[in-house]
Amino acid sequence: MEMKDYKTLRVTQEGNVVTVRLHRPETGNAINMQMVYDLKDVVDILTDAGDVAVMVLRGSEGVFSRGIDLSDFSLDKPPDIYGLQHWEKMCRQIERLNKYTVAVVEGECIGGGLQLVLLCDARIAERKAVFQLPEVKLGFLPGMATFRLAKYIGLGRAKNVVLTGKTLKAEEALSWGILDDVYDLVDLEKALQQKIDKLLPLHPGVLELARRLLLESYASEYEDFIGGFLAAQHRAIHGDAFRELILKAPAGTKAQEIFVPKDTPKPSRKK
Amino acid sequence: MTRTCSSSKSIPIEAPRILSVGTANPPNKYTQEQLLEYYQETDWKIRSIFLGGHISTRHLYLPEPVNGMMPEESNEELIQKHLRGCLEIGSQAINECLEPLGLAPYDIDFLCCLSSTGFLCPGITAHLIKKMGFRENVRRADILGMGCNAGINGLQTVTDFANANPGKHALLVCIEICSAAYVYNKNINTAVVNSLFGDGAAAVVVCRDARLTWKDGPQVLDFEPHIIPDAIDAMRFGLENNKLSFYLDRDIPYVIGMNVLKPISRLLGRHQLKKRYIQHWLVHSGGKKVIDAIAYNLGLTRHDLRHTIHVLKNFGNLSSASFLFSYKALREETSFQEADQAVMITMGPGTSIETALLQW
Repeated sequence: MEMKDYKTLRVTQEGNVVTVRLHRPETGNAINMQMVYDLKDVVDILTDAGDVAVMVLRGSEGVFSRGIDLSDFSLDKPPDIYGLQHWEKMCRQIERLNKYTVAVVEGECIGGGLQLVLLCDARIAERKAVFQLPEVKLGFLPGMATFRLAKYIGLGRAKNVVLTGKTLKAEEALSWGILDDVYDLVDLEKALQQKIDKLLPLHPGVLELARRLLLESYASEYEDFIGGFLAAQHRAIHGDAFRELILKAPAGTKAQEIFVPKDTPKPSRKK
Repeated sequence: MTRTCSSSKSIPIEAPRILSVGTANPPNKYTQEQLLEYYQETDWKIRSIFLGGHISTRHLYLPEPVNGMMPEESNEELIQKHLRGCLEIGSQAINECLEPLGLAPYDIDFLCCLSSTGFLCPGITAHLIKKMGFRENVRRADILGMGCNAGINGLQTVTDFANANPGKHALLVCIEICSAAYVYNKNINTAVVNSLFGDGAAAVVVCRDARLTWKDGPQVLDFEPHIIPDAIDAMRFGLENNKLSFYLDRDIPYVIGMNVLKPISRLLGRHQLKKRYIQHWLVHSGGKKVIDAIAYNLGLTRHDLRHTIHVLKNFGNLSSASFLFSYKALREETSFQEADQAVMITMGPGTSIETALLQW
């Protein structure tokens, strides 16, 4: 993927993994409109980059993000909703990106920072990371985290986080289901690398279909959903990945048996 | 790898524009439950096909129930119904389309009518000229039997005329009296068709004129067809008791799903566009499964397909007229801006997928 310089981000590529670091150290990586545009640009480029399989989203200098940068707003003109609409559009693009996305959190992850984390396929943090959605307590709304958070942690806990601005420690975010794993800071890089190594190679088209179905599962009737599932599965089983799977399978072997680890005793079968 | 911009270089400076759209349906509207009652249908399989939940109402030309039951229509009655319906809703759609432009049938230079739900000679254009007072020297074309995709084939025809004749007005009228191809024989195949198709007509005026702007309507920039000859039998007319009856293969959604990306990639690639730059999608309301197939193979959301889903729910599958009902719904929403682009997709017998690219 072609690398560009951004005012608010540091983007690096290693193999097929692209790391996007929020980078406004003077403000604790606070999210301003420039960062929204920069993120949108990166995501646009990533979408078309055939040589990238994973996007890692993280902060810099020990902080993920302290949330929205209010200095973009001014009392001289009425605040408009369109900047926030751009933010939400960009968020949706990350959520539906045709790459596997991993959020890696160090230090504070506040407001818009946590909103970004909720968009990612995998979410890990170091033990001292803290999470908070202080917006309601401050007098506005935590974006579409109002839509996403309860799906991770349930309505009761989401009310607790959104309405009171409660600060969550990493262990709590882990046990509630926001995070997949928590590590000591010294182990974080190694753990991230292992996570990615285990994941690759992945089938981006199938991943995208599976994620779309999971995201839609919350708002669908079974009868509506099954049609979408069958259309997606039809696409998957006509893809290259499934073709190779069949090619590799010894004659007479069923697909699911390929995944049975070798040390697992096979159920006896009648011939 | 470089970013592509959303504007296209190969756009002609003044492509023909769609200036207006009009639609019409028969006066009588039926719920799926009503129809099952009129046909006294008790077979649970057929009932569940009707009550699948993706269609709530359809406008149809059906006879008055006798003692609460639908009388059987003869072949002659079905053929007469097709012509009568074409003239009634066809002329209503034309009037609704021409009125906002201050045009009368007399002002139209090219009249193209299409229908797949009945065969007649002389064609629909001749009958509409007699009924509505088009000029005696109006150029005309009748397209019959091309099926649900035909609307875009017709749009190609009027766009080509408009391109070759600047300032002249070309009128496309899609009229489908699907109830004239209804056979009720308690068979699952005919039940699928009878549960799905509705009656409707849609008309658009296309004109090329350098003075027109995006506010007058979108330019019709390009077309890209795709035909799958191996699937020629997937959708077709057959005869049931000497009546025309439409047949739909159960694999259609999958055939369409496997192939729809091909014409779309060619169409968008030619204009250096990407799917995500397209603001509006106008897809034929073929049925729930085929809409799903397109959604998951092109990565379109329910929001992208809201007009398609809305038309299916309120009108059923209106064959070649469906996508223009979606276009009208988009116009009424007025959520488009200058330089917005729309992709139209229709699919039908052949098996064929037709696509068109518009830009405001």
